[in-house]
Amino acid sequence: MDILIGSLLSALLLVFSLDREMLAIVMVSLQVSCASTVLAALVGVPCGFFIALRRFAGKQIVITVLNTLLALPTVVIGLFVYAFVSRRGIFGPLDLLYTQKAIILGQIILIIPLVSALTIAAISRIDDRYRRTAMTLGANRMQTAKVILFEARFGITAAIVAAFGRVISEVGISMMLGGNIKGFTRTMTTAMALEYDKGAFSLAVALGIVLMSLSFGMNILFHFFQGKYRA
Amino acid sequence: MNVYSLDTLTKAYNGRPILDIDHLELETGRIYGLLGPNGAGKTTLLNILGFLDQPTSGRLDFFGKTVRFQERELQPLRKEVVVLDQYPVLFTTSVYRNLEFGLKLRKVERPERERVIDEVLDLVDMTSFKHEPAHTLSGGETQRIALARALALSPKVFLCDEPTASVDIENQAAIIALLKEINETKKITIVFTTHDRLLAAGLAHQTLVLNKGRLVSTSYENTFPCKIEPVSGKQVRCQLPGNTWIFLSSSALQSGASTSRLFIDPEKIRLYPADKAPDSSPCLLGKVVQLMEEAARIRAVIDVGFLLTILLKREQYESLRPGIGDTVAVSITEDAVILSN
Repeated sequence: MDILIGSLLSALLLVFSLDREMLAIVMVSLQVSCASTVLAALVGVPCGFFIALRRFAGKQIVITVLNTLLALPTVVIGLFVYAFVSRRGIFGPLDLLYTQKAIILGQIILIIPLVSALTIAAISRIDDRYRRTAMTLGANRMQTAKVILFEARFGITAAIVAAFGRVISEVGISMMLGGNIKGFTRTMTTAMALEYDKGAFSLAVALGIVLMSLSFGMNILFHFFQGKYRA
Repeated sequence: MNVYSLDTLTKAYNGRPILDIDHLELETGRIYGLLGPNGAGKTTLLNILGFLDQPTSGRLDFFGKTVRFQERELQPLRKEVVVLDQYPVLFTTSVYRNLEFGLKLRKVERPERERVIDEVLDLVDMTSFKHEPAHTLSGGETQRIALARALALSPKVFLCDEPTASVDIENQAAIIALLKEINETKKITIVFTTHDRLLAAGLAHQTLVLNKGRLVSTSYENTFPCKIEPVSGKQVRCQLPGNTWIFLSSSALQSGASTSRLFIDPEKIRLYPADKAPDSSPCLLGKVVQLMEEAARIRAVIDVGFLLTILLKREQYESLRPGIGDTVAVSITEDAVILSN
């Protein structure tokens, strides 16, 4: 108990003194997570939108596969991407292993199914009357799609927020593809794992506090905007 | 000039026929009331007329031109016709943005958009709601804003699915008055669906009745499901709601079906004081529950175990003078009855 209280106090000190090492780790985490979330959203949202609105053979199978991929362990993705980006892999010459790009690549693979599945759910929940209303008011297909996208904006934002939460808190991909290199690929989660191994909890707890605060802040912001449009 | 001309138009979902119209012409500048029970195909017809759905077969002409149901060709046509849902939705933005939506799509300049929006808001008496968030409006207010959003586009045709079904009496009156006004002043052709025969009679220039997807010449009221049983070789009896039986000759049956729909023409039903019922034909005894003046006739609703509507000529009414609660005898002769499957 003393260890926990002591670690917590020194962690709070690190947080409020804006410790340089801690800030550097947070920045790497944010850079990597933001990049992978944005890129995954650029792919996942249109994919989910297309799957939700179009009728095609095997649609249900695609949705089932996406839902199954939600449970994909990060170490499996790490291993899979490693096979491609390691020196002996087909992307070996690109020297991606132990870089932020490798982490981003792995994280994109991790969250594209999540963004797509949650976008499908968000679009499917939109009342068909919005589509019909847009059409009867003279909208073409693209304009109608924009209306549906607008009406599903909170659901899609929730999908992106959930995806960000998933990548910023994952450890397997960052560790296996980033290598936990200080100041370069050391993220909050890999740093926490390292500090735990060293038996030094102050920085680990401080990073935990930052991680929780980030998630909490994003959710508060999201619910604030969502609440403005509730009847 | 005909707005619409329909020829052998059908619509089926999963092989199940929903609509089957031999021929129908709708003239420009008129108001049409589309009556019929649930599942009669009213909304499907409205969606086809609004180019939101396509028929399975048949031909639809719009202002003399045959419509080809291909997305590229339908989109310009949709700019001439607006469909108003029974429960309309407003986009989750401001009232102003909702009204602006269709105008922007038509590339109307901002000052003109402002003018039109102010005009239609004034028309529906909702000017003070201009900048309100649309999701905070009540059902009646939503209906009126949806109406204004449609009117802002000055459509040639306005298709309303049960425009007064989901609003209170005050809003009903406002919407009916508005529909009459826009038809008279802007010459917009209006087609609306309703279950309310009184609304149809009061608002529409012409009433159309759909039953099981087909246009029928009968009135919507006095249509009952019935069970048919043979009594003898020459006679059948039809069981109506309230365990009431009507005896008909076998020739009235179009087929050997054992269940059917029975329509009793409200103008051919005879009404007598209870003590003066004729001996020549069997009568049903019932109580007068409603009397209403309707154009040159009087509408009487009699409870004979089920509610039966009778349309009396003014002279008939004057000679009988039935009052609410009076017991009367009702004679339904075979010429007043039509059986259909």
